[in-house]
Amino acid sequence: MRQRGTFLRHATLVGVSAIMLLPFYWVLKTAVTNENIYAYPPRLLPESPHLFNFVDVWYFIPFPRYLLNSLIVSALVVASNIVFNAMAGYALTKSFAGKRAILLLFLSCMLIPFQATIIPAYLITSKLGLLNSYLGLAFPLLSTIVCIFVFKAAFEAVPQSLVDAARIDGLSEWRVILRVLMPLSKAAIATNVVLAFIWSWNAFLWPLIITREPTMQTLPLGLARFLSYMEDTTGALYAFAVMVLAPSIFVFLMAQKEFIRGLTSGATKG
Amino acid sequence: MISRRTLLKSGAGAVAATLAAPAIAQAPKKISFLTWNIIDQEPMIRGWIARFAKDRPGVEVEWLDKKGPEIPVFYQTQLVAGTPPDIINTQGALGLEYAAQGALLDLTPRLKADAAVGSRFNADYLSNWAYEGNNYLLPFYITKTLLFYNKPMFQKAGLSGPPQSFDALIDAAQKMASGDASGFLTLNFDWLYWPLYATNGIDLLSKDLTKPTFNTPKAIEVTDRLAKATEAGAINKISWTGRWVEPNGAFAAGNVGMLHAHSPAYFFVKGQGKWVTPETLGVAHAPGGFATPNSHGLGISKASKNPDLAWDFLKFVTNEGAQELGVNRKLVTGNIAVDTKNLADLEKSDPLVYSILKTQLEHTDKMVGNWRLGNDSKIKEAFWPELQNVLLGRKDAKTALADAERKVARELKRG
Amino acid sequence: MMPAAGGAPGGSAERHNGWWQRKRTRELALVACFLLPSLVVFFLYRVLPLGWNLLLSVQYWSPLKPARWAGLDHYEEMLLYDDVFWQSLTNTLIFIGAAPFAIALALGIALLVNSDLKGAAVYRSIVFLSYPLMTVAVGIIWRWMYDERGGIINFALRESGLVAKPIPFLQSFEWALPSVIVAEVWQVLGFYMIIILTGLQSIPQHLYEAASIDGAPRWAQFWRITLPMLKPSLFLCAVVGILNSFTSFDLVYIMTNGGPGHATELLITYIYKSGFGQTKFDYAAALTVAQFILLLALTYLANRAAGGNAGSLERR
Repeated sequence: MRQRGTFLRHATLVGVSAIMLLPFYWVLKTAVTNENIYAYPPRLLPESPHLFNFVDVWYFIPFPRYLLNSLIVSALVVASNIVFNAMAGYALTKSFAGKRAILLLFLSCMLIPFQATIIPAYLITSKLGLLNSYLGLAFPLLSTIVCIFVFKAAFEAVPQSLVDAARIDGLSEWRVILRVLMPLSKAAIATNVVLAFIWSWNAFLWPLIITREPTMQTLPLGLARFLSYMEDTTGALYAFAVMVLAPSIFVFLMAQKEFIRGLTSGATKG
Repeated sequence: MISRRTLLKSGAGAVAATLAAPAIAQAPKKISFLTWNIIDQEPMIRGWIARFAKDRPGVEVEWLDKKGPEIPVFYQTQLVAGTPPDIINTQGALGLEYAAQGALLDLTPRLKADAAVGSRFNADYLSNWAYEGNNYLLPFYITKTLLFYNKPMFQKAGLSGPPQSFDALIDAAQKMASGDASGFLTLNFDWLYWPLYATNGIDLLSKDLTKPTFNTPKAIEVTDRLAKATEAGAINKISWTGRWVEPNGAFAAGNVGMLHAHSPAYFFVKGQGKWVTPETLGVAHAPGGFATPNSHGLGISKASKNPDLAWDFLKFVTNEGAQELGVNRKLVTGNIAVDTKNLADLEKSDPLVYSILKTQLEHTDKMVGNWRLGNDSKIKEAFWPELQNVLLGRKDAKTALADAERKVARELKRG
Repeated sequence: MMPAAGGAPGGSAERHNGWWQRKRTRELALVACFLLPSLVVFFLYRVLPLGWNLLLSVQYWSPLKPARWAGLDHYEEMLLYDDVFWQSLTNTLIFIGAAPFAIALALGIALLVNSDLKGAAVYRSIVFLSYPLMTVAVGIIWRWMYDERGGIINFALRESGLVAKPIPFLQSFEWALPSVIVAEVWQVLGFYMIIILTGLQSIPQHLYEAASIDGAPRWAQFWRITLPMLKPSLFLCAVVGILNSFTSFDLVYIMTNGGPGHATELLITYIYKSGFGQTKFDYAAALTVAQFILLLALTYLANRAAGGNAGSLERR
């Protein structure tokens, strides 16, 4: 019985995985060739694969500089997200006058699309004197509402008894967060890290607007320059997609052990 | 390979610039130059900037290049913030829209003062960007639509040559359509399909651009025929649903008889189509010689702090720069002297490209689809979706054109 | 709550008036401090821009021209004369309507993966892989996969004999929106999954153990324990599903640009085109306000469905 259940599980997951991976296989196949991707019939295997697309980029654009810029901005965003979001998430676990209003405010802020804020965001950043700067690139993403709620939910799931016990021991609010709540919210921290990294790493429109100096451009912007001036239908585009994707996957793989614990480790809670 | 005349002109220019140099303040004078998707020519443009700055001590040129979809969002934001690039490169009617907005400097007085500059350009193309009688942009490089055709397919269908009339075009398309193959494809953005209507004597608006004039029985008939031909497969549906990659890609696949597109399409098609050779690719004008231009122009932002320097740079780019651009990118620049020379060279080195580029300079008095509208994109948005509905069989021509007339009239009233 | 939270006991605070000593005020101050950094970011980059849009929506304005009062003209235009608005609205609602299915799918996958299944980590990574891709890249890839000539989907359909002629997925009025939605779900599935996985971590194991001892079947455990405790995560997923109707901007822009006709026009693409395409910033602002109100209403409904308070599990 157990074996049938497990087999079924695996079968389903393999099926799902195949669907999720198919586009990737296609992308990778094209990234290592230069064939006409619109040819019919489509070829299932890459023809004369090579890695030139990946290599060329080092020579055509100041890749290290753009990489550095992206890394700095993403580091800023991830660090501030963890700190600010944990703080806000914690504050939202308490009850206080105006809590509903603040919750409503946060929820509403989520519903404002970036495209509608481009001009005012630019003017504000300009007034702050942060154009063309790392802080300016990072500012709109220094805190994100989805991640605040992730922390809020994680903190609320910590048994009240643990928090009370800590307070009896005389711990300050900060210490409560650091010593009690955070260690039990590793998954929430991991989610924050992964999401904050992805959102800042992939940002294209904001860096496009906010940077005029070529040396301050981030990787997606810089790589876009590398694309053929005619609408791209060759492997270069796909190599670009893969290169921008790789670091985010790396961050996810590093953080992902926090997304699951074995059944045996449930004893740490409750 | 600069002609002596150009050399003399640039020599004189250099002397003048050098004489003027001491008068320019010692503090660095900076202008910014925004180009539209020309990053592949980075060495050339850096060369221009270097040569320009060499004769003008203390001058810096900041070069920004953005892809087409990025330019409006970038430029408009900079405009609102008050820091637009001094020189901007636009494609198609966008320049007119910015001029109507008041974002661009009126170049007419400068052209009057410097008659030699204006006369170096093809007058028809220069007037592409004349808004309310004033010039706002100079040609950077020019293109207009033409008819490419698949000679083997023509031969197989028993057609002797490219169609000379609208009826012949539909007829030929019908003859070549069978199975996967279709007879005719056109690009549809920026009014590129308009020659099909112009050749039937249909105009979008009245001469004073205040009233829609396209809701006529003739237009209904033409639209209906186009819709029927699309349904029958004579006209490839991608004409009305695709933008650039799909239509050109379809023609490159080798089973479309005719492609109605502007000259840059050739390079895309050649890149993708293994069948394209001087023997198999035919080049012709659309019936009646009508064509829609889709050129690139250079203008100066009104908010520029160094308009004189920007004007200098504009003159430089459209003269000395034009030569290199025309050769490197194999295109026509609008500068008569440069184009004449480049085409003469191309005739020997690449006859096929020569024949394509030659069409860009012929029948320039028959350019249509470029009404000098300050709200071109709004009119397009009011008209095109309705037309598309008919061509894709979702609406009948009579209702759609009536609806479009209503919408266009509304936009025109709003001004 | 026990007293003596915070650093200094009442001693050094005696110098201040009793107001400060009241715990309530201290707590309020603490909450305010903790919320401050996030609030600053949102104020600058969300609230102020929304205000800008609100103000702009009642004016006639274009860059470089002075603003004139417009009253409700733009709204009138939008609601009474603009069929593209209504189409975008419908499409946006359809787009959001796909979210519950995607979330249910993600829930199923999360449950499958959140166990001692061998290789769970691998499956998790595979499902998540699509999310970090730039949306632009996702759009380009799927546009190509849907292509009539070189696309793998049509190729597979033709080879397997299911269809005779290729289906113009992105060029057909009927297929375009579903096709875009499929691409969007493909990308966002992993995101829903990790939100749900994070939520699953917080469910105390002893609840399941107790239920098993009591003889409760697996599906009852799911309905009675798992699902209720996942409320905050599911609420978050629902809100993200609503957000996707505009964070998928690049996807729609690249795949169809709102076409054919306006079959895949979403409110966000229409807003962008009105603003930066047609320089109708004032009209785009009105559209933004309209979209905001719509999404707010949907979020409110989702909040109600999740039991209020953002679905949080109050355990007071």
